[in-house]
Amino acid sequence: MAVMPMKRMTLIAMRRDRKELLQFLQRQGTTEIDTDVADDGIYKKIDVSSQKQIFLKNIKQAEDALDILNKVAPEKKSLLSSLAGREIISLKDFEKDLGRRNEIMSVISKINSLYKENLELIAQIPKDEMDREALVPWEGFDLPLDFSGTEKTKAFIGTLPGDLSAEDIYLTLGMLFKEADRVDVEIISKSNQYTAVMFVTGNENAEELNDVLHRMNFTKAPSQAVTDSDGTSLTPAKAIERIDAETARKAARRKQIISDITDLAADRHDIELIRDYFTMRKDKYDVIGSINQSDHVVIITGYVAAEDVPKLEAALNNRFDLACDFSEPSDDEDVPVKLKNNAFASPVEGVIASYSLPGKGEVDPSMAVAVFYYFFFGLMLSDAAYGIIIAVACGILLKKFKNMETGLKKTLQMFFYCGVATTIVGFIFGSFFGDVVSSVAQTFFHVPEATANKLLPPIWFNPLDDPIKMLTFCFAVGLIHLFTGLGILMYQDIKNGHVLDAIYDGLFWYMFVGGCVLLLLCLPMITGMLGLSFTLGPTVKNVSICIALIGFAGVVLFSGRESRNWGKRLAKGLYGAYGITSYLSDVLSYSRLLALGLATSVISSVFNTMAGMVGGAVPVVIGVVLYAVIFIIGHILNMAINALGAYVHTNRLQYVEFFGKFYNGGGRPFEAFDQKTKYIRIKEDI
Amino acid sequence: MSMGTVWALLGAALSALLAGAGSAIGVGKAGQAAAGVVTEDPSLFSKVLILQLLPGTQGIYGLLIAFITLTNIGIMGGSADMSLHKGLLYFAACLPMAVVGLISAICQANAAVSAIGLVAKKPDQFGKAMIFPAMVETYAILALLVSILSIFGVSALA
Repeated sequence: MAVMPMKRMTLIAMRRDRKELLQFLQRQGTTEIDTDVADDGIYKKIDVSSQKQIFLKNIKQAEDALDILNKVAPEKKSLLSSLAGREIISLKDFEKDLGRRNEIMSVISKINSLYKENLELIAQIPKDEMDREALVPWEGFDLPLDFSGTEKTKAFIGTLPGDLSAEDIYLTLGMLFKEADRVDVEIISKSNQYTAVMFVTGNENAEELNDVLHRMNFTKAPSQAVTDSDGTSLTPAKAIERIDAETARKAARRKQIISDITDLAADRHDIELIRDYFTMRKDKYDVIGSINQSDHVVIITGYVAAEDVPKLEAALNNRFDLACDFSEPSDDEDVPVKLKNNAFASPVEGVIASYSLPGKGEVDPSMAVAVFYYFFFGLMLSDAAYGIIIAVACGILLKKFKNMETGLKKTLQMFFYCGVATTIVGFIFGSFFGDVVSSVAQTFFHVPEATANKLLPPIWFNPLDDPIKMLTFCFAVGLIHLFTGLGILMYQDIKNGHVLDAIYDGLFWYMFVGGCVLLLLCLPMITGMLGLSFTLGPTVKNVSICIALIGFAGVVLFSGRESRNWGKRLAKGLYGAYGITSYLSDVLSYSRLLALGLATSVISSVFNTMAGMVGGAVPVVIGVVLYAVIFIIGHILNMAINALGAYVHTNRLQYVEFFGKFYNGGGRPFEAFDQKTKYIRIKEDI
Repeated sequence: MSMGTVWALLGAALSALLAGAGSAIGVGKAGQAAAGVVTEDPSLFSKVLILQLLPGTQGIYGLLIAFITLTNIGIMGGSADMSLHKGLLYFAACLPMAVVGLISAICQANAAVSAIGLVAKKPDQFGKAMIFPAMVETYAILALLVSILSIFGVSALA
């Protein structure tokens, strides 16, 4: 249970070693690098933006290639493979693989250019289809569509709107054109939207006919895409044939491209490696750009956890010519925070980090949070079977994927402990899939209800039978939780040397609240309401009144102690004492432990009752099946919704009620200079 | 069959009905916001799903109250005979869950929608985003508690 002490690191190294040195630090991942040494003329920062650009470009290309591979030749992955974590690779293998760097880069650019060609071919499809569509009406025509006539005649080839016969066309033509009889009309094809026609006339009438046709909304036939490679025109049938051939060729090419890319998928692993390689180099250059360098020397500063120092120092001195210094950070520094806990408490570090890491002078609350977190989760889910399911599932996953990323691993460990707690609580309060034991016994074995209910007796009592007792228990647990928070506050103050603050803000509150609680327990009305079998006697009553009054006086006198003016100070003190109401509402808030616990067991028994009603009404063989179906669906639903509720409200009790008593947070997380990679992680022993 | 049973059943029905309706509205609202976030960043699916489900618990609590009322008044097997007086007591016992369930689910949905927006912009702040809607739920839980205790209390009366 601790915030790791940090040391301020200063490395002065030879400039020629800087890349090796940074690579080493990056692989170790135990340092946070920040540089605030002044730019003083001798030492200066160098511009690395051009190199970074290259790395970013390479990363982008590798990612594009991987995207393409995932689209074209997706890797077969099991549903759980995302839990597996990054592949661990030794430094030697990594360097060996990097020998193929240029080869892999050319594979990457090949994949990208092949896919680009594929996209271009896809983009041509609509145009080819349109060209072909336009030629279809002319398929039976035996002249090229750009045929314009012979020496003495002019030909007009095109379409007229509507479904027209030769008579219709002559009729219209005759109305508009005097010499219609000198025009030859040949209908080539028609549909209900257009008629494809060729008009032929002598050269002398050509111009006039052109105008007339224009007025008849004549559209010239498409003449593009119909010339052969040597410039001779093709007939429409030939042109269609050629477009078809071209389309087939493009389709074949696309197929070829896809199969080529699929072949290249064998290099996927190397491409991933290259992507991570450039990511690490980019990160390294970010650091190179931020540190100060003279012509021969570089200075690297940062933080490193005190416990990592000896190992790091030895390894650095072994490998490089450098001077290193690890000193205590000064008081006004914003030292980054890293938590370290044992296996039981470390899983909840994520819960604390997502609130805020401990600020200056605050202790790491992980251990206390862990104990209450698991316990509250257990109380709210409160079903032994659900707990076993959760614990076993998390346990198997943790066992199977040993190489899991830290964050995920901690989450699963946390739910593992929550599951264990749920199991224990479930047996204490006698809930195993709700009341399934009793329900099955009654439905299929016809055991009388009273006997059936005794088959799996609770170790302590069943909250459904005595909810008030459970409520009192929850309030008591809540009070312990709050007092633990107050205790940590006192510990923190004493540790930081503020013993008086510990008394004013901690001890007086203990006395005030504790005295009031004892006093309440002396009142028969209250003990009756809470279902307690005892009422404390008058001696305790007098003592508790004294304690509460001393506490009250202390709070009134000292909670406004930063004010010099006594009037103001007392007013603030009274307002501080009014904070007792927040204790009341905080304690009442723990009633959610009861409510959510009851929700789980009542809904469980709803489903069991339903299953029993259906399963008991039909012959046993069918009954068992129906019972199982309703049971499985119902309990999956109940477990999911109540696990969610338990998770959310456990967090809330920690964040709002518990942290409200002592914890502000505000610590800056330790941002290690490490391998921010996606696929591989290099392991180097020192 | 007496008037008492009618009132008690009315209470049970109202608690399932109002709390369920509130949750349906709430989960629907939050679902719209969640779907919008997932179009931009599908990797946030599991986080926004949890936030979407938060206003759904009131419906479950409503069901719970309805169910324990139904078993206690003997609708689900047993004799369904009770005085008007007792029926009204059951009715009153169901009211907190019914009314608070409806209103808190909708209010919680508003907080959940904002929390989903928060997660969309800062996915690492999920822990805090979850707390805001959970604050609203407190009142549904208190109502649930009062309703449960009342029903147990009423059924213990002669």
